[in-house]
Amino acid sequence: MKQSRPFPTLITGMLILIIANLMFGAVSIPLNEILKGFQQGSDNYFTLHEYRLPRTLLAVLVGAMMALSGALVQGVIRNPLASPDVLGVSHGAGLAAVIYMTYFPASSIDWLPAVALVGGLLAALILWWLCGQSSSAIKLAITGVALAALYASGVDFLMLVKPLEINNALLWLTGSLWGRGWHQLMMILPWLLLIPVAFWLAKSLNLIHLGDDTAMSLGINANKLRLVSLAVAVGLTASCVAVCGPIGFLGLVAPHLTRKLVGGRHQTLLPATMLVGAILLLVADLVARTIDPPIELPAGLMTAIIGAPYFLWLLFRTK
Amino acid sequence: MKFLSFPYSGQCLVLSLLLCLVGWISLFSWSVIPISPHDALSALYAMNDDNIAHRIVHDLRLPRAMIGAIVGACLAAAGVVMQGLTQNPLASPSVLGINAGAALGMAIVSTITPWFGLLGTSMAAMVGGGLAWALVMLLGNAWKTGGEHGRLVLAGVAISTLCAALTKAVIIIEEDQASGVLTWLAGSLTDARWQTLDQLWPIALLGLLGTLLISQSLNLLQLGDDNARNLGVSLLWVKLGGSFLVLLLVGSAISAVGAIGFVGLLVPHMARMLCGQDHRKFLPIAMLMGACLVVLSDTISRAIIFPMETPAGAILALIGAPFFIYLVRKRTL
Repeated sequence: MKQSRPFPTLITGMLILIIANLMFGAVSIPLNEILKGFQQGSDNYFTLHEYRLPRTLLAVLVGAMMALSGALVQGVIRNPLASPDVLGVSHGAGLAAVIYMTYFPASSIDWLPAVALVGGLLAALILWWLCGQSSSAIKLAITGVALAALYASGVDFLMLVKPLEINNALLWLTGSLWGRGWHQLMMILPWLLLIPVAFWLAKSLNLIHLGDDTAMSLGINANKLRLVSLAVAVGLTASCVAVCGPIGFLGLVAPHLTRKLVGGRHQTLLPATMLVGAILLLVADLVARTIDPPIELPAGLMTAIIGAPYFLWLLFRTK
Repeated sequence: MKFLSFPYSGQCLVLSLLLCLVGWISLFSWSVIPISPHDALSALYAMNDDNIAHRIVHDLRLPRAMIGAIVGACLAAAGVVMQGLTQNPLASPSVLGINAGAALGMAIVSTITPWFGLLGTSMAAMVGGGLAWALVMLLGNAWKTGGEHGRLVLAGVAISTLCAALTKAVIIIEEDQASGVLTWLAGSLTDARWQTLDQLWPIALLGLLGTLLISQSLNLLQLGDDNARNLGVSLLWVKLGGSFLVLLLVGSAISAVGAIGFVGLLVPHMARMLCGQDHRKFLPIAMLMGACLVVLSDTISRAIIFPMETPAGAILALIGAPFFIYLVRKRTL
């Protein structure tokens, strides 16, 4: 790995994985068939165009957004254990989405991201109210995890009371890209506008690392910055959760890995972490689909299997 | 709170009566075929084979209530012992990963080597739970005195997540359908029969008696490891023995009904509120309360979307998680 030029490596890796995601699955499509497959009427058109392409693009977007949201949260809370899913935001958004789907089944699915956003914001507010500003890293994480467990048991309960399809249930409990297509991709597109906002915050995020007082004297309103970044992070997470369910540990692991690769400067960290997040989710989804085809595991399971040990390692190191 | 000022024997008596009452209600309530309260009683002492209500009570409801009571007592006792051993108010089988580890062990054994039978699965539950707990204790620095409480809990939660993800993966791959898994992972008494009871009670009884035996040492552990050692407690044996008892209790409970959570967290605190810190006193109280709680939530689980059933564990999780948050907030971790 070239430490000095991570971007070309990351982008190449992502492209290779995108092609791999298009090639492998229940049916393998050889490389030279893929380009032909995009022309209408060819043998693999349906598989590629209707099924694998939107799913792969979605994996890239969701991975990138989740990772970005994690980087923002870790940037402002200065807590290595923090991330939207550890803090319960993604499960809160998931619970709101499930409540909306079970109790208003007739209403349009396009409102799902907005509903998830409300749920995520509420979850963040509840956490804030329970912990206040002066909590230790570990206490914040415990409260967040407990809240996440509460929301998850709420989802679990609704699923068992009003049984949907089992794949749906696993989707909302662990997160999965199963059965997602162009429509979901369109749903998530407007939320990409949050990404430039995050980049615009990057410089101030660097300064806040120097401590609140220093940042203040350099002309940054620390509390306002915190509020804006957290709101952006919640928005990014909620839109992903509305489409894919709470895919765990992605927002935690990706920023940490990226910090090792490119260092802590947010102008490079934020774009790099998006690439890393996309790569992680592409790998997770690829493994989840190909481990025992045609059975499919939820991608959220794979991220949990990778992410939980990493969380333990972080915990072990945290003073 | 008049109940709080009752003498100890009075509290025990009231709770035993409450258990009988809850058990009786669970025998006749929410049945598709109507069962009268009187039927429920007469099925116990004057069983009539031709009466369908009697048959339901005898073959389905009675073992279910008894298994619920035993499982509740086991999980509550396990929670008390764990909180005593780790000196951590948040310790309990579900928080520290034993439930998830046991579930993983059972899932692996029952999908990969199904010829093992029920004895094999409860063995697997114990081994899986034991491994998970050992790992949590190692990572959470719990064997040294002065280890941080929060770290242990977070390690437990992470191990639980990992085990739960692996369990779901194993079952989805092997079974090709996952509908039963969610119910079972949440913990449900739906499949409780006499056969299950026969396998459950000897191990459970052994474990419960064992916890009563070590309750004296648990009292001394509250003084801190050093003081306990000075007073003649063999720390190694108490901790090893306690851990073994916990595994025995949790393993048998989980192999009978699936991973019911939060009983072990809730009940010890409730019992402590009733009768103070003396383990010899509040251990029996905790067992009774745990039994009541599980039987009660099983009855509620049948009522919510009658005539279908929700797993009792899902209801307990809904009650238990807010309580957990309350504990985190109250204690200085």
